[in-house]
Amino acid sequence: MAKDKLRHQTTKNDDTSIDLKGTFISVMLLGIFILVLWFGIYALFLSR
Amino acid sequence: MHLHKYEKIWLVFGLGSLALFLLIIGFAAFWKGTHPQSHIETIDPQNVEAHESFKPENLGLREVADGKYIVNIVASAFNYDIGSDDAGKPVKTIRVPKGSTVLFQVTTKDVVHGFQVAGTNVNMMVEPGHISRLETVMKNAGEFTVVCNEYCGIGHHQMFATVEVYDE
Ligand SMILES: [Cu+2]
Repeated sequence: MAKDKLRHQTTKNDDTSIDLKGTFISVMLLGIFILVLWFGIYALFLSR
Repeated sequence: MHLHKYEKIWLVFGLGSLALFLLIIGFAAFWKGTHPQSHIETIDPQNVEAHESFKPENLGLREVADGKYIVNIVASAFNYDIGSDDAGKPVKTIRVPKGSTVLFQVTTKDVVHGFQVAGTNVNMMVEPGHISRLETVMKNAGEFTVVCNEYCGIGHHQMFATVEVYDE
């Protein structure tokens, strides 16, 4: 019982075990979307 | 402070984008001279004719040098006054050759209007008491419609003109 509690506490702060892959991919997709949009609009500005 | 590996990556990405866009703003403002189109220069909206550029005979298109033009326009609800032709009819179309540099100088007698030459980079607000200026190079030939894009009242949709850029 005591051992279980200890284990629980150590894993709580160990964020390397948290799976952030999905978050990472969505954050990057959003970032790339914003950048692509910005450069697209800039290209439009330069061509006009 | 301990950060997750992925967190570090997107923080660097986010801060990098922030730095990139701040640099671009600085470049546009200080090297390219990009600034709001209504300058510090003010004008009496009740008496725009007192200003040299907006005297009735000075309205419309004028070639000031080879390939350089100035267009003076007085916006009002619901019209763009671009001067009148020899027959006394109001001008509604401006014709310039492709590649010419055109300086648009616009002011308003009444409320806030928009001045957008759709399909080009000419797009500015026209505020009473201010003179809005925007210089541009007409790179592409074609017929571009000038529209008011600031709602100014019941006849807002009737405010339009045409800029025709022709191939020499
Ligand atoms: Cu309007």
